Amino acid sequence: MLTYALRRVLSTLPVMAIVALFVFSLLYIAPGDPAVVIAGDQASPADVERIRANLGLDQPFLVQFGSWVWRLLHFDLGTSIFTNLPVSALIAQRIEPTLSLMMVTLVLTIIIAVPLGVIAAWKAGTWIDRIIMAFAVFGFSVPVFVVGYILAYVFALKFDWLPVQGYTPLAQGFWPWLQNLILPSVALGCVYIALIARITRAAMLEVLQQDYIRTARAKGLGQGGILFIHALKNAAVPIVTVVGIGIALLIGGAVVTESVFAIPGLGRLTIDAILRRDYPVIQGIVLLFSFVYVLVNLLIDVTYTLVDPRIRY
Amino acid sequence: MDRRTVLKGLAGAGGLALTGIAAPAIAQGAAARTLRFVPQANLANFDPIWGTQYVVRNAAAMVWDTLYGIDDQFVPQRQMVESEQVSDDGLTWTFKLRPGLKFHDGEPVLAKDVVASLTRWSARDPMGLMLKALQNELTAVDDKTFKWVLKQPYPKMLFALGKGNAPCAFIMPERIAQTDPFKQMSEYVGSGPFKFVKGEWVPGAKAVFEKFTDYVPRQEKPVWLAGGKQVLVDRVEWVIMPDPATAAAALQNGEVDWWENPITDLVPVLKGNKNIGVDIGDPLGNVGSFRMNHLHAPFNNVKARQAILMAMSQEDYMRALVGDDNALWKPLPGFFTPDTPLYTEAGGDILKGKRDFAAAKKLLEEAGYKGEPITCVVAQDQPITKAFGDVTADLLKKLGMTVDFVATDWGTVGARRAQKTPPSQGGWHMFHTWHAGADCINPAAYTALRANGDKAWFGWPTSEPVEKEITDWFAAKSLDEEKAVAARINKAAIDDVVFAPTGFFLGYTAWRKNVSGVTKGPIPLFWGVSKTA
Repeated sequence: MLTYALRRVLSTLPVMAIVALFVFSLLYIAPGDPAVVIAGDQASPADVERIRANLGLDQPFLVQFGSWVWRLLHFDLGTSIFTNLPVSALIAQRIEPTLSLMMVTLVLTIIIAVPLGVIAAWKAGTWIDRIIMAFAVFGFSVPVFVVGYILAYVFALKFDWLPVQGYTPLAQGFWPWLQNLILPSVALGCVYIALIARITRAAMLEVLQQDYIRTARAKGLGQGGILFIHALKNAAVPIVTVVGIGIALLIGGAVVTESVFAIPGLGRLTIDAILRRDYPVIQGIVLLFSFVYVLVNLLIDVTYTLVDPRIRY
Repeated sequence: MDRRTVLKGLAGAGGLALTGIAAPAIAQGAAARTLRFVPQANLANFDPIWGTQYVVRNAAAMVWDTLYGIDDQFVPQRQMVESEQVSDDGLTWTFKLRPGLKFHDGEPVLAKDVVASLTRWSARDPMGLMLKALQNELTAVDDKTFKWVLKQPYPKMLFALGKGNAPCAFIMPERIAQTDPFKQMSEYVGSGPFKFVKGEWVPGAKAVFEKFTDYVPRQEKPVWLAGGKQVLVDRVEWVIMPDPATAAAALQNGEVDWWENPITDLVPVLKGNKNIGVDIGDPLGNVGSFRMNHLHAPFNNVKARQAILMAMSQEDYMRALVGDDNALWKPLPGFFTPDTPLYTEAGGDILKGKRDFAAAKKLLEEAGYKGEPITCVVAQDQPITKAFGDVTADLLKKLGMTVDFVATDWGTVGARRAQKTPPSQGGWHMFHTWHAGADCINPAAYTALRANGDKAWFGWPTSEPVEKEITDWFAAKSLDEEKAVAARINKAAIDDVVFAPTGFFLGYTAWRKNVSGVTKGPIPLFWGVSKTA
C-alpha cells in the first residue's frame, strides 16, 4: 500500500507539469494585458511597454515559461504582478478560510446527507422518501448565491444571529470561527447534501436487496444495525467516491460562496487574479488545485481498501 | 467518558452556542474606535505612482500628504508647504516646508525627499511630464527648502502639486521615491494622517490604516484635500466586498460603518433603514463616455461621429444606468463637469433637443458607411459599461448599422482598446468608459479630451483646434481667461467629436448614523470622521 501511495504521489508530478504547461500556454494566448491594467488610463503606449518590460511580459513564450519552471524547481511560485507580494504568501493568507469553509461544509454534508440517504432508502416509496428526494431536487436546482442571500437575509438581517460576511481565524476562538462559517457552509453544502443523499439512497437500495441483508433480518438484527452496520458499509464505495469528488467540486463552489459572504479565501483570490490577468497568481493557484485534485483521488483510492477489504493494490 | 458526561458536554456546547447566537453578530464596544469602510474596489497594489487606479489614489491620500491640496473651489491650498515664492519672470519657484512634518518611520520630511518624490511623480503624471519638459533644475536648497527652475513660466504649478487626480504628487522618503517609476515600490511610508499596516494587508480582502499620532494637522478648517486633517478614530479598516448585496446587508447589520458607493438598485433599501444615512458621495460625479476609433472607417470621418451625437439620447444612457432617480443624472452637452467653474455648453446644441435619426442616417451615408460591421467592445463585468453598451447596440441598429457586439470583461477591453489595427484584425470601432468628474473640471488631468493623434487617448483623435485651445488653457492667467478658453475647447471638441459624452451621473454613499463627519468630496475623506458605539 505504501509503495502504491508513493507511486501515486510521484505520478502527480508529470500531471502537474502538463497542467502547468497548459495553463501557462492558455494565459499566454488569452486576451488581456496586465500592464495595461496597471498603467491606468493616463498611460501612454510607451509607459505600458516599459511596465511590460519590467514585468518580463515582453519576453518570448519559451523564455517566460522556462523562467517560471526554473523558479518552480526552486519552490518559488513567483511574485504577484499587482501586489508585489510572493504568490506563496498570498496563497498562505487565503488557504485557511477556504480549507475551513470546505471542512465545515464537508462535515455538515456527511452528517446530514448520509442519514437522509439511508432513511430515504429504508422508507423507499413512502412520503418520507419523497420529501427527502424533493429536498434533494431543490438542493440541486437552487444556485448557491440564492441560498446564500436567503440565509443571510433570514439569519443575519432579520434575527441578527449570525454575521453576514467575513472570516475569523480559528486562532481567535472556535465559536467566532464557526460563526462566520455556518451560513456559507449551509449555502455551499445544499448541493452536496442533495448529491450525496441521492447517491447514498441509490447505493443503499441496491444493498438492501442483497441476500445477506435478508439473512441479517432473519437472524433478528434490529433495523439500525442492518442499515448502519451491514448495509451502509457495503454501500460505502460509491458514497466515498462522491464525497471525494465533492471535495474537489467544493473548490469551485467556494468561489461563488466566498464572494457572496466576503470570505477572503482562495476562490476570491482566483477570481481577482483572473480579472486582472495576474499570471503568477493564477498559475500558482491552478497548480495548487491540481495537486489537491490528485491528492483527493489518491485518498479516495486508499479509503476504498478500508471500507472494502476485497480491494487491494 | 460516560454518556452523562457527553450529554453535559453537549448541553454546555449548546448553551455556549445559544449565548453566542443570542448576542449581536458583531461586538460593538471594542470596535467603536475602528471605522470599517467598504471601498469602491479592491486595493490590489499600493504604489500611487506606479498604479493609477482611483482606489489606490484614495488609500494613498490617507497615508501620503501632498505639498498643496485642492479645496472645494478647486483652489490649491498650502498643505505641507509653509510658503512659496515665484520669481518675477515666473521661472523660479522656491518652496519652504512647514515645521513638524515627520514620516511614519520617525524621520523628518526633508527637501531631498520632496525632490525625489516630485522626480518620480513627474515621470508618470501628465502635468508632471509637462513640468519635466520645462525643467531646468529641481533641487534641495537646504533641509526645508527646495526650488524648481523652469525654462518657461508654468502658471498651473500649484494646481499640479495639489491636484487630486491620479497620480497625485505624494511626498515619500527619498529612499522609496528613488524606485523606478515603472516598478512597484514595496515600502509604504508616508507622512500623512494615517499609517498603512502592511502586516494586516490581505489584498482583495482587507487593508488597515492606523492613526499617525505624530501627524501635525494644519490649523485651517478641512475642505476636501486641503486644511487640517484631524483624525478622530484610531483605526480604519477597508473591507473589500465584491458583492453589493452583501455590502448592503453588512451595512444594515452594523458589520461595516460606511459603504463608499452603493449601487442604485440597493439604495431604496438603505434609505428605508433608520440607522443609515444616504447622500450623494462625490459631487463631481462622472462623465459617461462613448469612445469611437478615429483611425478606422466609418469613424475616421467626422460625419459618422456627428451622426452618433445627432442620434444618441443621453437620457437613454442615464436611465439604463440610474433608473428613475432624477437626482443622479444630468444631460451633458459638453465635456466639462457640471457646476464647476469651467463648465460650458458652448457648441453643444447637437446633443440637445429631439434626436434626429433621419439626418444622422444621411450623415452616415455621406461618410461612406455601407453596412460594414461595427465592433463594439463592451465590458460586461462593469455595470456602467454594460448599461451603456446595451443602449449603444440598440442605437446603432436603429441607425441601420450592423453591430458586432463583443461582450467581454474589463481586462480584455483594457488590452483590446490599445490595439490600433483595423477591427477585422483585432482592433475595435468603439468602447464605453467613464471619467471621474474630478478629472474633467479642467484640461489638466483630462487625458480623454486630448486630440493629439498618436499621443492621444484610445481612439487617437486628431484635432488641431482642440489642442491649440488646451495649450492656451495651460497658459491662461485668470479664471475669466480660462473660462473663455474652455468654451472654445468645448466647441472644438464637439465639432470634431473627440468622444461622445453619454451624460453626467452621480453616485450615493451610505453610512451608519453612529458615524459622523462623512462629507461630500471627490474622494472619501477620513479626517473629521468619528464614530460612537
